[in-house]
Amino acid sequence: MLRTRLIGRVLTAVAVATLVACGGGGSGDGSSGGAGTPPPVPITKTEALRFLNQSTYGATEAEGQRLMALGDASTGYARWIDEQVARPASLQLPTVQAAYANLTNPAQMIGSLNGDRQEIWFRNSIRGPDQLRQRVAFALSEIMVVSQQSTLQNMPYALADYYDMLARNAFGDFRQLMQDVTLHPAMGVYLNMLGNQKPDEANSIRPDENYARELLQLFTVGLVELGADGTVRKGADGVPLPTFDQSVIEGFANVFTGWNYAGAASFAQARRTLANQIVPMQAYPEQHSPLAKKLLQYPGAAKPNLPARQAPQQDLADALDNIFNHPNVGPFVSKQLIQKLVTSNPSPAYVARVAAKFDNDGTGKRGNLAAVVKAILLDAEARPATVAATTGKVKEPLLRLTQLWRAYGAQAANGQYRLGNINAVFGQGPLQSPSVFNFFSPFYAPPGEIADQGLVAPELQIATEYLNTTVTNTFYNVIFGWNSTVPGLPANAVVMDFSQEVTLAGDPEALVNRIADKLLGGTISPTLKAEARAAVERVPAASAGQRVSEAMYLVATSPEYVVSR
Amino acid sequence: MNRITRRRFVQALAAGGLTHAFGRTAGTVQAQAAGTGGFSDYRALVCVFLFGGNDSWSMVVPRSSAEYAAYARSRQNLAIPLDQLLPVNALNGGGALYGLHPSMAGVASLFESGRCAVIANVGPLIAPTTRAQYQASSVPLPPQLFSHNDQQDQWHSLRGRNASKSGWAGRIADVLAAQVSSQQLALNVSLSGNTLFQAGTSATPYVMGPTGATTFTGFGTSGAPLARKTAFQNVVNASYGTVYERAYAEVQRRAVRYAELVNDALAAAPALTTTFPANSPLATQLQTVARMIAVRERLGMSRQVFFVATGGFDTHDDQLADQPGLLGNVSASLDAFYKATVELGVASSVTTFTQSDFGRTLTSNGDGSDHAWGGVQLVIGDAVRGRTLYGSYPTLEIGGPEDVGGGRFIPAVSSDQYAATLAKWFGVAEAQLPTVAPSIGLFAEKDLGFLI
Repeated sequence: MLRTRLIGRVLTAVAVATLVACGGGGSGDGSSGGAGTPPPVPITKTEALRFLNQSTYGATEAEGQRLMALGDASTGYARWIDEQVARPASLQLPTVQAAYANLTNPAQMIGSLNGDRQEIWFRNSIRGPDQLRQRVAFALSEIMVVSQQSTLQNMPYALADYYDMLARNAFGDFRQLMQDVTLHPAMGVYLNMLGNQKPDEANSIRPDENYARELLQLFTVGLVELGADGTVRKGADGVPLPTFDQSVIEGFANVFTGWNYAGAASFAQARRTLANQIVPMQAYPEQHSPLAKKLLQYPGAAKPNLPARQAPQQDLADALDNIFNHPNVGPFVSKQLIQKLVTSNPSPAYVARVAAKFDNDGTGKRGNLAAVVKAILLDAEARPATVAATTGKVKEPLLRLTQLWRAYGAQAANGQYRLGNINAVFGQGPLQSPSVFNFFSPFYAPPGEIADQGLVAPELQIATEYLNTTVTNTFYNVIFGWNSTVPGLPANAVVMDFSQEVTLAGDPEALVNRIADKLLGGTISPTLKAEARAAVERVPAASAGQRVSEAMYLVATSPEYVVSR
Repeated sequence: MNRITRRRFVQALAAGGLTHAFGRTAGTVQAQAAGTGGFSDYRALVCVFLFGGNDSWSMVVPRSSAEYAAYARSRQNLAIPLDQLLPVNALNGGGALYGLHPSMAGVASLFESGRCAVIANVGPLIAPTTRAQYQASSVPLPPQLFSHNDQQDQWHSLRGRNASKSGWAGRIADVLAAQVSSQQLALNVSLSGNTLFQAGTSATPYVMGPTGATTFTGFGTSGAPLARKTAFQNVVNASYGTVYERAYAEVQRRAVRYAELVNDALAAAPALTTTFPANSPLATQLQTVARMIAVRERLGMSRQVFFVATGGFDTHDDQLADQPGLLGNVSASLDAFYKATVELGVASSVTTFTQSDFGRTLTSNGDGSDHAWGGVQLVIGDAVRGRTLYGSYPTLEIGGPEDVGGGRFIPAVSSDQYAATLAKWFGVAEAQLPTVAPSIGLFAEKDLGFLI
């Protein structure tokens, strides 16, 4: 099982060749080839689990069987994706609005709606029919970050609507997404574009640079020039080539002036309301910088410099076009989405294939996110025949819990998924990042072989000794405490259905295999299997729920469950 | 404007006998003879990281008239009113006088009693840099100036343009490995998550919770809980095929190993009588650090670096409204922690210091400030040659000699010099300092002198 990275790469390349020959890899349209097409290869249980862990909030047996029924390896995945792309977004805002209506003292209790927002996030993630859309929205929420750990804690409408906006745009046009993110009041408040004023040289006041910098650095182009395959371009001195300098930041900072909450008579009179925190910000020309603005400078840039005295809307449109057409955007965004869905360390060729889809979806359109997501999931490197040392990624704690609960049909008597401060025990929660840099960085490399080999494992940034313990304990609590064999649970307990497992509790081998089927796609290492079996056997057969819990705890906290391969 | 320099400080020392004035004697690192290994004394460094980029130009402010006038002219609506500053009287201030932010009474008092030093205009540099050199790009500069994560990484790693993935505290643990080999716990302990600062090339840090180590639910020392723990350990001790499984399993192994050790030790810690601010995550972390220091002997610790952190310093908006809370919390927490070290009898063995992403623009963006470069840091403890400003306060004029635009100041002293000074006090041999602070060789002053 242990294998060097080099050998892993070679094996991956072989797998790529095999899958491409089957017509399933890289082409992205899922169609079979013409004459001489090899016989269809069915999707296996293990492959179904892997695909669904990449594309949903956790594989379930039922969804796996549906996927297998949709077609073979060359058609099934693509059909499943097409189905998902067509599904409308499950929303958060209506739930948060309904909760607001029930507040006895809204002015004092507005912050409590963050709990309702977290609840509907879990509900949509676990039960939403638009699994892929929700999963991509979650990935986007970790790239274009806003967070309740800020003044947004008092704006739960804005946060819920921001997430809904991401979900609506998940398969849309990246340029539209850029615009919607830029003008959303949640982002406006979080990164200070809302209320940003034109320069006042007499008082040495400059426009706020926060949104300008992070839009470029974190959301779209990144700090350094990238090749089409996402690798860093370096100058003759070996130093990475920067994509922009301070003068460009200042140009964009001037672009992003004059915007505030919509509906006021003037910039100065704009005030937040429940209604205007969920509609795009409005331009107030009196506070828009009249200066000329320097934008990103790159070959082929349509308007690298904007003339003085353009209208705020025109400046905005030109500036977002300037970013959107920068050659970095495809590889920058594609690589991060691959890392969030499939693998922490995609090969440059994988990034290049997806970035090419970003640049042109096949119809000449740039930034078609549905095509990008499909290319990511259908790529041969997402479906390798053998697991290399760098295949896959660590699942975030939230995704580990949603997978467990989806696999065991977990629900509460009251229909809700109401948890406490998940951020404190998981080191993450929906729209709860400590800063715009997300819970973890795409560049994080834990010390040891990962850092030594120049690899990354972003999710391991929050896998500290402390948080691993609190996450592991959460799994202990939900598995032993909130399952269908425990009597007298309260209406808000999210209860996993152990009914099938309980019938197997007298047969340790069958019980462990059943759990491995549901949580690991049928593959389980000899050590884990032996330990899980022994754990079952230590408990008297009469304590069926306890037997199931002991085995499931070991499986659901094991390295092989934590890593999606 | 008057500049406080190291040179002036040395003159002040010679004239006034600063160590004598504070009734302390200069200490030397108590390492046993080579070959026998460990340290015979205890020392700890406590890094307080202010995430977001602290606007330290409002933390330490000149209050003499010419300097304050320049400050107020440049800061405009962000300026702290002169009459609100907490006056402090540095021994080496020359003609200029300074005041602390009105919310920082605790730190002001530590400064006045000689327990706190101010390091002015410190930040990442690869080599000494003038504005002319900056503009001509004739010296190498830290990459991605003004970017949060990149400049945090610079402070943490001191890597300059290298691709190094280790931090300077991590490298301290590397070079002292033989001398701390009998410690039961890693030299580096974080109470605020994984940090590049503590990542060693070979040494591994330990991350605990803000209030202690959490133990594993359902594990125990006998019966079913012991069997469960053993099974869990057998699973994480197995060999795995992917780098991700291996790295995750390694953290789980350490988590199990250290949880009980640390928790049992803390349970035996005497209660501190020092009161820490309530509802402050920073104070909570520092209180736990104090408790960890209290049980240092039980854990066999002679050298420790603790990392604690607090955020919210990225004051692009509402700076005047937010800073009193931010800096007030820092001040009250640092003050309480210092008092706890006095209570524990380790005030001269524990040195607390701040770091932050970067300083901020002296100019305003309307109601806040933006990302800049050099800033002011604080160092606290009885080993500190306090009541003194080190480095050099910049000319607070827009377009002044250190300004690269908008009131972004080229640091007068480098993070490498800051780190090397701390590392040397901690016990890193002179010859090993370049391993800890790679650029130190390019700076004439290898020790800024703020520690005894």
